[in-house]
Amino acid sequence: MHSALNMALINLNHPAHYLGIGPFQVSVGNLVIIVSMFVIFAMAIFLPFPHGKDD
Amino acid sequence: MVMKVDPSKKWSGPVRSYDIIKEGVIAVVVVALLAAGLSLFFSSPDEKAVTLKSWALTNAPDFVQTATGELAGTTTSAGYGAPYNNAAKGPTLGPLKLQDWAGVRIPVDPATSFVTEPLAILNDPAANDAVTAWKEASSDQQGKWATAYVDALGKATDAVSVADTANAFGPVPEMVSALLVMAKTGALDGALTTSDTPLPTDFTKPLLFLADSEGYFGELAAAQHLGGDQWGVMNETGSWPGQSWLWLFSLWYQVEPFKSSGNADTLVMTLMGLLTLCLALFPIFPFIRKLPYKIPIHRLIWKKWYARKL
Repeated sequence: MHSALNMALINLNHPAHYLGIGPFQVSVGNLVIIVSMFVIFAMAIFLPFPHGKDD
Repeated sequence: MVMKVDPSKKWSGPVRSYDIIKEGVIAVVVVALLAAGLSLFFSSPDEKAVTLKSWALTNAPDFVQTATGELAGTTTSAGYGAPYNNAAKGPTLGPLKLQDWAGVRIPVDPATSFVTEPLAILNDPAANDAVTAWKEASSDQQGKWATAYVDALGKATDAVSVADTANAFGPVPEMVSALLVMAKTGALDGALTTSDTPLPTDFTKPLLFLADSEGYFGELAAAQHLGGDQWGVMNETGSWPGQSWLWLFSLWYQVEPFKSSGNADTLVMTLMGLLTLCLALFPIFPFIRKLPYKIPIHRLIWKKWYARKL
């Protein structure tokens, strides 16, 4: 287990950081994924899409 | 305004060629490269297994307290109800007794399954005699012994045994001490996973026993932010991202009246079912179905089409 983890370039096998206000709480890992989904959604809308010959 | 469409009428609008095989291949290749790349960079969670042995070695007082609680019938699994026993009716939804109706499908009597049965296979005459004395006593006497020992352990901080000066504990200290030795060697893990089948594939009993631990197991979960009141359903061990798509399920467990309800699972699942139904029935709600006209995100997605229309 440890050898496999040590092979990872970025080691995430340590206690997570959490952000929160009141009852709301989110880990930094989850927040990164949620923000990434919004960024990818925005990119999909605003970035020019490769066009086919019929377009 | 909602346009009425005649389903029998043939499409007369613009058409374009579309290569679904090409798109599918690109999607599979991109996802495969992403999965391989992210695995290389971040690896994946691989927590060491939590066992009865690790519990007994790490927090023996909590193990002894919980094992005595199993004999006294005061643990969570002792009072759980179906599918393990008839001790409680469990979650209900109005007149619907959802848990109780499922019936006792996996009979578990914690005192027998977690303590006396494993001790019976132990080659320890003192422990075997203690089990015999326990079985020969009335259930009322058993309850008095175990409850007295639970109370005594609770008063003695971090103790794995308490001297029976008032002769009030009967065979309980001998049984629990022998079970602790058995757990420390790993023999209890084996005994509980092979008690019903020769193949160690059924972890129901050790998991129930572990989950009764209010010290060791609860502290492990709390340290990893996996508790129900910590948005635990969303979280993962270590610093890896978890199941963020379960945020709405998790949210209800953080707020009243769900947070303090013993029926929270049923209430949350019912609420989520109703919300999902609302989502499915989106087009029939008068105001909500017009939201896309007020928040026209679809016009951004199909901006070229709408530009041509203008």
